[in-house]
Amino acid sequence: MNIEHRIDKILEIYLPAIKNGQETIDSIIEKYPKYANALRPRLEAVLWLLNAKKNFEPRQGFVSSSRQYMEQQFETIRPHGFWQRVFSRYTPQRWVFNFTAPVIVILLLALVINSAILTARLSIPGDPFYSTKLRIEDIQVALTFNQIHKTDLYIEFSRERTTEFVELVLEGDYELLTPAATRLETEIIASLRSISDIPSQNQAVEQPKILQLRDTLTNEILMLNMLKDTSPNTAYPGIELAIQVAQSGLMALR
Amino acid sequence: MPARLDIDHELIQKAQRGDTHAFGDLYESHAPVIFRYLFAHLDSRMDAEDLTGEVFLKAWQSLPKYTERGIPFLAFLFRIARNVLVDHYRQSNRLESKSPDELDGYKEEGNPEPAETIGNQMEHQKILRVLTTLRPDYQSVLTLRFISELSPEETAQVMKRSVGAIRVLQHRALTALRQEIEKTG
Repeated sequence: MNIEHRIDKILEIYLPAIKNGQETIDSIIEKYPKYANALRPRLEAVLWLLNAKKNFEPRQGFVSSSRQYMEQQFETIRPHGFWQRVFSRYTPQRWVFNFTAPVIVILLLALVINSAILTARLSIPGDPFYSTKLRIEDIQVALTFNQIHKTDLYIEFSRERTTEFVELVLEGDYELLTPAATRLETEIIASLRSISDIPSQNQAVEQPKILQLRDTLTNEILMLNMLKDTSPNTAYPGIELAIQVAQSGLMALR
Repeated sequence: MPARLDIDHELIQKAQRGDTHAFGDLYESHAPVIFRYLFAHLDSRMDAEDLTGEVFLKAWQSLPKYTERGIPFLAFLFRIARNVLVDHYRQSNRLESKSPDELDGYKEEGNPEPAETIGNQMEHQKILRVLTTLRPDYQSVLTLRFISELSPEETAQVMKRSVGAIRVLQHRALTALRQEIEKTG
């Protein structure tokens, strides 16, 4: 038994006797001379506390006289059940706030996301949101499980790459033309693969898609040739590359 | 002790069924202990009386969610009392000294004579000054063990510590108190 436990036991045993005046500090220490050094200051402190306790007693008659008043209070304030507690904690204003706050946050989030998507959709190579635009297109393709619709998407993206290419030329960003032509090539290859992936029994659908891609590529070549005639010499290599890419696509279709 | 627990158990069950008289009995048996604890932390008897009432009102309101398996009723009351004290400190932000005008309230209620009241008040202030110099956990353990006369087990439940930890804390708190008494003379 450690000293704290031993002294606590001694205090517990002799506390009533100290209170009644049957024992004194010295009489207890006589019984436990081994603990005298540790026991004396603590017994003195306990005695001080016991004397102090008299000052902390409620005034005479306080408890009994206040009991009646307290019982009246208990009668008026009934204990709250679970639902009462919930409803008392949340006032109607709080309920309205709890409901409207998340709705407003969701609406704001939707607005921000929508604006970001719109900005991304209108972006061209070199814009900060352009990579987001490409990711959105990837997601669109990943979420399209119908092969015909997938082909439509690739053809549409191919057109989009050409439009971006034209915008780059018009804005004078010639250094971005080569990567833009490479991206155009990627989309044309993807369109060709997608057409070849259309099931062979579905000939009725495959032919219109081939025609659709052919028209697109023909228009792109026409547009790029017109662009070449009106652009400065520095833009030639990029435009030439894009024309070659589109022509290769046409040849592959044939 | 077990007899007190049995009586408490019966009264709590009645009170949980809405018997205000049963809760009145609990009030009468436990209010002095709670009062002593509160008054050992406050310098105003009136505040201690008000807060004692507040503790029991809160206990009455929380009675449906109280389960005896968790903690004994007295420990439950002391936990409320500690929270009430904290709230009180927050509101007043410091231990306030009462003016003689505020002490007059006792005279009107037919309590001890003014001289005696002021004498008691001064003695109380002196004790409080010694106690408040101690660390808050020392003050709590000494108040609970020797002023409110809780057992080490009950003190442990109120202070959310083990009985062993309470014994060590009490041991140190008594030493600190003895040194403080010596210092103040």
